Amino acid sequence: MFGKGLVKGLKITWKRMLGKKQTVKYPFTKIEMFPRFHGRFVIDPDKCISCGLCVNACPNKVIQLEKQKVGTKQYLTKYTMKIEYCLFCGLCVEVCPKDAINFSEIIDMNQYRREWVTLKMVDRDAPVETIDDNALIDSSSSHKEG
Amino acid sequence: MKTQTQTYSLNLGPQHPSTHGVFRIILELDGEFVVKATPVPGYLHRGIEKLAEARTYTQVIPYTDRMDYLAGMLMNWGYVMSVEKLMSLEIPERAEYIRVIVGELSRIASHMMSVGALGADLGALTAFTYTFRDREYVMDLLEMTSGSRMTFNYMRVGGVVKDFPPEFYPALKHFLSELPGMCDEYDGLLTGNEIFIARTKNIGIITPEMGINYSLSGPTIRGSGVNLDLRKTRPYSIYDRFDFQVPLGENGDCYDRFRLRIEEMRQSGKIIQQALEQIEEGPIMAKVPKIIKPPVGDVYTEIESSKGIYGSYLVSDGSTKPYRIHFRRPSFINLGYLGDLCKGWKLADVIAILGSIDIVLGEVDC
Amino acid sequence: MLESIFIEIADIIRYWFLDLGTPELLTEIILMLIKLSAILGFIIVNALWLVYMERKVAAYIQSRIGPIHTGPKGLLQTAADILKLMGKEIILPDGINRIIFILMPILIFVPPLMTWAVIPFGRDMTAVDIDMGVFYILAVGSLSTIIFWAAGWASNNKYSLIGGMRVVAQMVSYELPLVLGLLGVVMISGSLNLNQIVIAQDNVWFIFTQPIAFLIYLIAGISETNRAPFDLVEGESEIIAGPYTEYSGMGFALFFLAEYANMMVVSAVCTVMFLGGWLAPFGMDFIPSWVWFFLKMYFIIFLFMWIRWTYPRMRVDHLMAFGWKVLVPLSLANIFVTGACIYIFRGIGW
Repeated sequence: MFGKGLVKGLKITWKRMLGKKQTVKYPFTKIEMFPRFHGRFVIDPDKCISCGLCVNACPNKVIQLEKQKVGTKQYLTKYTMKIEYCLFCGLCVEVCPKDAINFSEIIDMNQYRREWVTLKMVDRDAPVETIDDNALIDSSSSHKEG
Repeated sequence: MKTQTQTYSLNLGPQHPSTHGVFRIILELDGEFVVKATPVPGYLHRGIEKLAEARTYTQVIPYTDRMDYLAGMLMNWGYVMSVEKLMSLEIPERAEYIRVIVGELSRIASHMMSVGALGADLGALTAFTYTFRDREYVMDLLEMTSGSRMTFNYMRVGGVVKDFPPEFYPALKHFLSELPGMCDEYDGLLTGNEIFIARTKNIGIITPEMGINYSLSGPTIRGSGVNLDLRKTRPYSIYDRFDFQVPLGENGDCYDRFRLRIEEMRQSGKIIQQALEQIEEGPIMAKVPKIIKPPVGDVYTEIESSKGIYGSYLVSDGSTKPYRIHFRRPSFINLGYLGDLCKGWKLADVIAILGSIDIVLGEVDC
Repeated sequence: MLESIFIEIADIIRYWFLDLGTPELLTEIILMLIKLSAILGFIIVNALWLVYMERKVAAYIQSRIGPIHTGPKGLLQTAADILKLMGKEIILPDGINRIIFILMPILIFVPPLMTWAVIPFGRDMTAVDIDMGVFYILAVGSLSTIIFWAAGWASNNKYSLIGGMRVVAQMVSYELPLVLGLLGVVMISGSLNLNQIVIAQDNVWFIFTQPIAFLIYLIAGISETNRAPFDLVEGESEIIAGPYTEYSGMGFALFFLAEYANMMVVSAVCTVMFLGGWLAPFGMDFIPSWVWFFLKMYFIIFLFMWIRWTYPRMRVDHLMAFGWKVLVPLSLANIFVTGACIYIFRGIGW
């Protein structure tokens, strides 16, 4: 009583004032993310077998998948995530049998327009005859990497 | 001539800096004194219970995170426990220990937030930033394990998703060694501060009888001296293996409720310490079929969440989706007493009382 | 040279006008206007700097970095903020008293400006040197109560009204210990002139002879400026922003800056009354007197900030009880003891 607690509080804040700063100058220095961090999704279309497990696992119906049959295999033509509805729960990543979809460490997924938020991860035509192993991902439709 | 005074109504919220979210209280004030207080919850209602009926048992788990988003692990735990009980699953030892560790970490994070928020409500913004700074350590630890900082979705029916990464153990040990110092700092800034004591001592007294009548739980009722901690009185999971005390208050005022939370943080640190010593290698997931189909029936389980008793009532019709889930959210039940509790106190005390009850609006409105 | 730089500038302007053939009375009036506008500029620049300082002190206490991006070391951050607020629409809510609502943020700078006019910045550096200095400061200082209260009243908002009522209750009850605390100093120095009071502290600062009065003044001063732990008026967790709730844009910015202007006044008076004003301690005369004055003033301001970022807010009835039951009796006792001591020392023949 009688101001002892008040003086103690002042002492604590004084010590903190001279102590180490805990924040970083954010846009210039960034903190490294942990390997398990739930960031932006990345998909490896070569690994994907278009099984659709991720579509079913998603609690919010975020993932839309289109496929086409080429020869005996299913070929992934379109993979869209309506990321504005995503919970980042990771159930799709967990359920994937081929480890095709994964989290990356990218955190800035903000966009200027709502329609750009949707993550168009794969958008390509199925090869007419044989499967081209080096099928490129057409990323020109996504407006901003990230 | 006789002067007449008039009461007036003041709308506190839903956009108000210290209602901890979108909570609204309609106050009938006589000067600064509260004549009548009418809490109006529901501004954050998302219908999680209804949403769950259209999701499979696993898909419900990320939604439980969104209830008490300050202690997401505990929310996960309460839900998966009910499914496990319905399926009569045996959880592996290591998974139980991991659950205890992350659950107690979540409890620490939630209490830190609560302690800081009460400080901020009473004007001590520095205490608020200190608790936030320290909460970051806990969130870093949980991010290492689950990948998310607040909405973890870490537990599954039958165990947990992933084991701790190797870098988790040194970080946790470092945190545990720092924790008492952090608590001392909050004690120094708030608990021992004369202004703080004057603001909280003998304010908003909940008598044990009224607390029981209103079915309060958690630190809110333990502040009144009622020894109700499910971890001790009705041990679930493996809580009977740990040696810890349940701190109790005496007066049931805001000060006791506040003080308890700092004490509980220390005790949680002790529990984690013991769990770290006892934990052994082993599987982290029970043998669970890929498609979870509990038998027909209903089950009710309770755990001690950071805010109180968190129960989940689950009705299964034998399909892959729950027929009905009801969550007993402690914040909501604790809030039931607010209207009566605020009567007769000042406007400033309403803020202190609300802060000391420690509500999370995601949980209140569910 | 540096010691009397402001006096010399004033002399240059005076002779320049006299050389032009301006009558002496007109010259003095022009000079007075220049002095007052210089003080106004000083107050505004200083308020901007104080906002920056407050943010930095708060950041450092909370182990953060604070503003760093705008300008060197973030120095222009407040200027940028004020510019942004200037560009904002001033919203006039329904049912307000328009004239009072708009007038109050403009008038809020009048009391600090009037107070600064009599405060001695340095040796022979007073814009207006009047013999009733202390009395004048106390009288003018309490004017801001009316402005806060009127702003709260005109806003037609219950939160503003509660804030306005709290201003009146708080400021009126803390004016008393403030005045009674300063009375001890006046008794020792035997003058109401601020320059005389400073000179009277040549041997020993009044903080050492009147420590209780200093404490009372500090507490009452924090309360006068509505800062934590006595910031009930704008206590943001209870009544949003008190009287300023409905203000937006520049109206809010002016109230915001006025808080710092008031803080400056209170700490400047504190410096003059207790810390020896512009007197150099330990005979360190090589530093100009006005630098000493500002150093001491900023020390007091830092003390205010440190206290603000450490303590929770008081409750309104505790505040009243503390003011009337502790501070007023204490200051009365202080006056009694001071009077007795003066009598005794005079009897001894000091």
